[in-house]
Amino acid sequence: MTSQLAPTAAQSARAATGGRRRGRGVSQRRVRLLFLAPAALFLLLFSLFPLLQLLRMSVSAVTARTLNAEWLFTGLENFRRSFDGGEGTDALLRTGIFVLVVTTLGMLLGLAAAIALRTRGRWSAALLALMVFVWALPPVVNGSVWKFLLGDRGLFNMIVLELGLRDSPMPFLYSQYWALMSVAFVNSFAVIPFNALVFRAALMNIPPETFEAAALDGVNKWQEVRHVMLPSVRPTTLVLLVLTLVYGFRSFDFIYVMTYGGPGTATNTLPFLGYLQAFARYDFGLGAATSVVTVLGVLILAAVYARSIRREEAES
Amino acid sequence: MNHAKAGPVTSTVKVLLTFMYGVPILWIVLTSLKSSRDVFSSRTSLLFRPEITAYVDALDGALADALVQSVLIATGTTALVLFIAIPAAYGLARTRGWITTLGLGLLIVLQMMPQTATVIPLFQIFGDWRLLDHTIGVIIADTALLTPFATLLLRPFFRAVPRELEEAGAIDGATILRTFWSVVLPVARNGAFTVGTLVFLLAWGEFLYAVNFFLSPGSYPLSALLAQQVSAFGIDWPGLMALAVLTSIPILLVFTATYRLLRDGLTVGAVK
Amino acid sequence: MTPTTRSAPSLAARAASRATNTSERGSGSRNGRRRAVGLTASALAAALALAACGGGGGDGDTGGTGGGGEGGGTVTVWHYFSDDNQVRLMDEFAAKFEGEREGVTVENVYVPYDEMNSKVIAAAGSQTGPDVVVFNGAETATLALAGALAPLDDYWADYEDAGQFPDSVIHQVEDQTYAVQGYVNLLGLWYNAEILAEIGVEPPTTIEELEDAMAAATDAGYSGITLCGLPQGQGEWQAYPWLSAEGFTYDAPDAAALEAGLARVRGWVESGWLSQQAVTWDQTVPFQEFAAGGVAFAENGNWQMGTAESDARFEYGVVPLPLGADGQVYLGGEGQGIGAYSQNPDLAWEYLTATYLDAEGQLLPVEIVGSIPSRSDAAQDEMVTGNELLQPFAETIETYGANYPSPAIPPESVGDVQLTVGQAWSAALGGQQSPADAAQNVVGQLERLGG
Repeated sequence: MTSQLAPTAAQSARAATGGRRRGRGVSQRRVRLLFLAPAALFLLLFSLFPLLQLLRMSVSAVTARTLNAEWLFTGLENFRRSFDGGEGTDALLRTGIFVLVVTTLGMLLGLAAAIALRTRGRWSAALLALMVFVWALPPVVNGSVWKFLLGDRGLFNMIVLELGLRDSPMPFLYSQYWALMSVAFVNSFAVIPFNALVFRAALMNIPPETFEAAALDGVNKWQEVRHVMLPSVRPTTLVLLVLTLVYGFRSFDFIYVMTYGGPGTATNTLPFLGYLQAFARYDFGLGAATSVVTVLGVLILAAVYARSIRREEAES
Repeated sequence: MNHAKAGPVTSTVKVLLTFMYGVPILWIVLTSLKSSRDVFSSRTSLLFRPEITAYVDALDGALADALVQSVLIATGTTALVLFIAIPAAYGLARTRGWITTLGLGLLIVLQMMPQTATVIPLFQIFGDWRLLDHTIGVIIADTALLTPFATLLLRPFFRAVPRELEEAGAIDGATILRTFWSVVLPVARNGAFTVGTLVFLLAWGEFLYAVNFFLSPGSYPLSALLAQQVSAFGIDWPGLMALAVLTSIPILLVFTATYRLLRDGLTVGAVK
Repeated sequence: MTPTTRSAPSLAARAASRATNTSERGSGSRNGRRRAVGLTASALAAALALAACGGGGGDGDTGGTGGGGEGGGTVTVWHYFSDDNQVRLMDEFAAKFEGEREGVTVENVYVPYDEMNSKVIAAAGSQTGPDVVVFNGAETATLALAGALAPLDDYWADYEDAGQFPDSVIHQVEDQTYAVQGYVNLLGLWYNAEILAEIGVEPPTTIEELEDAMAAATDAGYSGITLCGLPQGQGEWQAYPWLSAEGFTYDAPDAAALEAGLARVRGWVESGWLSQQAVTWDQTVPFQEFAAGGVAFAENGNWQMGTAESDARFEYGVVPLPLGADGQVYLGGEGQGIGAYSQNPDLAWEYLTATYLDAEGQLLPVEIVGSIPSRSDAAQDEMVTGNELLQPFAETIETYGANYPSPAIPPESVGDVQLTVGQAWSAALGGQQSPADAAQNVVGQLERLGG
């Protein structure tokens, strides 16, 4: 389809190069929208139905009994139930803290890693490979490893106890205050390699001349980062920010492996709560409502993203 | 970037990262060489008699079959995702207006969908279309999962391509498709490689779709074999860690290959 | 499906269980509850006795009563076993059936535990699925309500050995039978005999003795006990014995009893007998901790025999959990059912009667994984009665055995109740909530769920 239409469009584009700039812009734009066709078609076929089902589920009473039968429309009942007991509100608050930690650590250390690993050399290459290797390990492996490392007889407590900093082990995973921080840390750990890799790819796209020019101006390292690198990777930073936020908002694997939301409910974030509601309590409607709330939360952030993109486009 | 000399800050970051990622790997390798009784004993945390039993046990016929499945799924998914996401990312990078905004918003929403919530509806679709229990079904599901992610990630790379390059192509009389293929794509290739690698690695590790959409025995990929080490009745820690190491070796190979390509590709094709 | 013809044994069994329920609900007094437990035990004993007379002749022949004996076919069995021994058991079952029925193949398909329910339910939504499902018996209600299991009542009514099976292993949802268990798994108190010898105590028979022993073990530099404190079903399953020992039941949830149970075990954490880390432990890790040595006791199941044998470098033993007069121990294990969309349910039934439900077949899990047969004739086999480690578990069934999940919980709420109690257990052990708050919270939720 695209290949048939493209030449005609190009002809008209060529015809337009002479005078009518505006006409050419419109037709080019149409052609470029055709580039979206495969993705639109594919996602329409395989992603839209699940999305609609999720939305429909969130406003229906769906339990194990009715999942494979007719769903009864109940309006906003699921949302009301989710927030009535305080369960949803608590989870929302925890999710906020969790996402904040994951995003901050993930973005800062990701960028720091990318800058540090920009240098050539064996150490950088090996370290990057190591990070990607760890990133690609399944959560059950990474989560279990950290569960051991953060346990009473794990490495960190061994150090803490040997150094005499404390006389009892740090309750990394079983104190209600520490547990959320620990899982957030491990989630950041898991997202840093990804962010580093993408930041690095963006940094490498900066033409060497830019750095040379900066060097001639006699900028120091920090100024180079601040005034050369950061502005150049701004579009990547924005998209990574969104992806990291999304990652934080939907992450539940590590919580599942490391704490199962515990102790008690101390690490029940929204995605994990949604999982529990749908697959431990078999209240699929309630679980779907929780997921929809999470999606809405992210959409608000996405609107901010869209605005900054528009600003970025206005600038360019 | 040959000018960059490692300063003290850089070195500190590198040491920190080496520690942060080296310790877990070390722990994984050590555990994979232990006997299951040594895993929980504090006396044997570092000093123990290494065994390769876990590796020997892991290397059986099932591993080879699963490896083939993993290769099929991961390469199929990567190819399909790139085929779909590259043009989409380019389209979204070069247009503006409500369609673009809507498209980006939708991609974010899709990226937010909990994977667990997609299993049951997709099962219905695949059941109707007779795609259940076929590798292509899992490839399609993984593609649907990873396309939003890949598109969002690729877009900035296409935006970074200078418009003048394209306009020059258009003046030369090349079609948009040709300009895209011969001018834009080579410049954005860095991003495409990176995203392709990431998609490959994610598809390699994807597990939920694989265990749900395959129905007959012996069709699971490696990621599902890993899950078998953990059950409600016992966790074979050495087995899990040995298998984690084994199944990640291909990942390392793929990454090293693309890393070379990336580095060399850059020096050759650096933007003028 | 055809309307069910209700079989005599299942009716009797339900009558027995109803009798238990009403008597428990009727009298809040300790006395009444003790009688109720006695009743369950005697019902079980009656079933055992009945089996002993009737089952004698049924040993030899295979249960080919299911009709429809036409030629070959394939039986697809979905299971979640990945442990070597349990995989071997599945293979042996397959070989047994294939050996007895010519031209039939059995395909065992592994599905990860966490994905089993959603996969079976999703498959049922697409009108497909396995012939036989082997799943966590406690989840019968979920699968049955989702329409993923075929009712077994017709087969069960015609099954000549039905009387061999006690009520607690027959899973009924809304008066229809959906699954039967071929064996029973349950919790006991594992002890490290060397530590007990060193501190000079006998394996405990009362909860006070247990606490004294844990205190002595801790003083001698060991840990007291390991158990599962995860905020989910596994936690509830391990919590229930201690909670019921203080008088808590689902028939008449009493906040004070629940608080007493939670407070007791929270006390173990505060005394340093139980690591607070237990809230991150599933059932596997605490036993591995126990097997690594240095821990006096472990609350864990009969299925850990293999791990104990391979990993523990010390003398160990098992006694029933010391739960006093009111205590209850769930009788868990996998349920076996027929998929609602099985192409050949008759063949699936034949597979079940030749393997899980067969008297000889039931001895395979005893031998391979150390489970306790559900048939009363098989339970009296030398292999069970002569096994020192199995004996305390068999004894527990008699003294403390309780249906899992409790019949007092409405089928839709099983998952909800287990999660709620599991979370309270974890919250109390981990210090997120005081035992009193956790108990209040649970009782409030149970009332809402109509427990």
